[in-house]
Amino acid sequence: MKKLEVYDPAMCCSTGVCGPEVDPVLVAFAADLKWVADQGVTVRRYNLGQEPQAFAANPAVVKEMEAGMDRLPMIVVDDQIVSTGIHLSREQLARKLGLTTTDEPPRATGSCCSPKSRCC
Amino acid sequence: MTLPPLGTRYAFFTGKGGVGKTSLSCATGLALAESGKRVLIVSTDPASNLDEVLGTQLSSTPTAILAAPGLFALNIDPEAAARAYKERMVGPYRGILPPAAIASMEEQFSGACTVEIAAFDEFAKLLGDPGATAGFDHAIFDTAPTGHTLRLLTLPSAWSGFIASSTGGASCLGPLAGLEKQKALYAATVAQLSDPAMTTLVLVSCPERSALREAERTRGELAELGVTNLRLALNGVFAATAPGDAIADALTARGREAVATMPPALETLPRSETPFLPKGTVGLEALRAMSAPQTVEPPYPEPLEPGAMPPGLDALVADLAEAGRGVIMTMGKGGVGKTTVAAAIAVSLARRGHRVTLSTTDPAAHVADAVDGDVPGLTVTRIDPEREVAAYRDEVLAKAGGGLDAAGRAMLEEDLRSPCTEEIAVFRAFARTVDDGKDRFVVLDTAPTGHTILLLDAAEAYHREVLRTQAEMPEAVRSLLPRLRDQTFTRTLIVTLAEATPVHEAERLQRDLARAGIAPFAWIINQSLLASGTADPVLARRGQYERPFIDRVVADLARRAVLIPWGRGHEDERVQRSSVSAIRASPRHR
Repeated sequence: MKKLEVYDPAMCCSTGVCGPEVDPVLVAFAADLKWVADQGVTVRRYNLGQEPQAFAANPAVVKEMEAGMDRLPMIVVDDQIVSTGIHLSREQLARKLGLTTTDEPPRATGSCCSPKSRCC
Repeated sequence: MTLPPLGTRYAFFTGKGGVGKTSLSCATGLALAESGKRVLIVSTDPASNLDEVLGTQLSSTPTAILAAPGLFALNIDPEAAARAYKERMVGPYRGILPPAAIASMEEQFSGACTVEIAAFDEFAKLLGDPGATAGFDHAIFDTAPTGHTLRLLTLPSAWSGFIASSTGGASCLGPLAGLEKQKALYAATVAQLSDPAMTTLVLVSCPERSALREAERTRGELAELGVTNLRLALNGVFAATAPGDAIADALTARGREAVATMPPALETLPRSETPFLPKGTVGLEALRAMSAPQTVEPPYPEPLEPGAMPPGLDALVADLAEAGRGVIMTMGKGGVGKTTVAAAIAVSLARRGHRVTLSTTDPAAHVADAVDGDVPGLTVTRIDPEREVAAYRDEVLAKAGGGLDAAGRAMLEEDLRSPCTEEIAVFRAFARTVDDGKDRFVVLDTAPTGHTILLLDAAEAYHREVLRTQAEMPEAVRSLLPRLRDQTFTRTLIVTLAEATPVHEAERLQRDLARAGIAPFAWIINQSLLASGTADPVLARRGQYERPFIDRVVADLARRAVLIPWGRGHEDERVQRSSVSAIRASPRHR
């Protein structure tokens, strides 16, 4: 069985609603992980603020963090780091895991782009 | 005149700040100790003055009160508990994870929630674990001011429900996920609290309408939490020894009217009453006087020295009015009359022709009751946490939840039930209100000290968060802290009473504000019996005790001091129904 691990920066909660402003990307990502898990993939998500032991236990992850905290979030598939600094979309996750997205991937309304790009 | 009798192992004293929770819980504990019991008094109030009342330096472990065999006390400082909690979580990773990672973890543990939860964690250790208080017959909790207490008490049921329903690893216990391990302890805490054979909840109030309404609000909320063993303790009951003194007559009438019209559900509770004391309640001897029959010392009335008193409110308002706009915040321990003072300033500014918004973040929101009628130019608004949370939840769901599938939406809704959400929602409303001061006066009656500090702390944490993330941030939020620190934009007024504890608390508040980079514009000494001109023997004696505190504020503490005589603004207690309904009908803050 495939294994997907996500190493998140220190966040109050997984959807980001506890931050000063909700981030639709985080909300969608949480839903996408749920979808990935439903496809039979083992999903583990670690938050630096809550589960630092998971970070400390993975030398490759610590090495990336030493290069810069902007490497978080890190996505690891079967012990290989497949992306740094970004929450992948459902399609991207599916590609990395060799899954097919059958139904329309649900996206957050009004989030044609990342909030940081300020086009919305 | 008696203290509340206690048959249970645990007792909680809760009520609006300044009604005498600490005095009453200490007097009750002392009486029990003197009847041969071993008693532990616990304070979880961030603004606790238990040390002062018991005359003993306390710590976070039980300390014997030497002058009272059998009596022990401990003080839980929520901020110290939060620091210890943070170190417990972060410490083991120093030197293992990069420094930047450690810094970002620490950031997560510096929010208001951490303080709140760390305090609750300490409290749960005492209540949820019978072994922790095994050496005592009674454990008496002098709890924090009402809003704060209620949040502490609400958490266990919210959490028990939350922890039970949480699926997968994506829970939103925020920085407190580590506490999930303590589920059993919290479950035990909830069970103890709602077991009438184990716990008595004493609602402390005084013969004032607003304080009794507050007690009723608390009663309702506790009943909802399944807490049924409730008692009412009326403290500071006053009756003039002889009629004829205007102040004494007004105080007597006000008390009688308040008691006669108290909410029906409150009236059905078992009740005990303790008298208004001419001396304070600091020290064991004064505590004993709360239960012992009081002999009033003979009337002294000596003429007061004229000219040695600080001026009244008018000159201060005239100076505040000069700016033509900006934010005025009244701050202080609960029960000192921040609301009345804020309302008086707002009305006075409006009468000078300014546009004024009077707003409150006080969960008890007496502000609507304190304004005397509809004044042209004056708008009254209220930051209601429940409505703010609902609005925030709707906004988030509309913005981010629209395209989610059922599972994703459920997860989002679960996160929105977290304790942090209220903090954020209220904070945003506060920032919006401050923003209004750009082109008018905004007078904010802030919540009791502990909560206020948390709010400012939250402002600071968000401020850092804003600079760090560059997320989409309303301009009002972005500029909040710089505005609060700008002395030409925000005028902070410290409200206090001329008594030991309130002055002490105000001094602490001033220090806390200094740390946040905020310097108070003036101190307002409210409800002065000394300045009232009363000749009633009990009240005049009490007035005499104000003198050293007034002198200390003027000489050592305040850049500028104002003295408001007792009775000014108290006609607000008899506010006309029409004005209240006019305020209620006024549009909610956008």
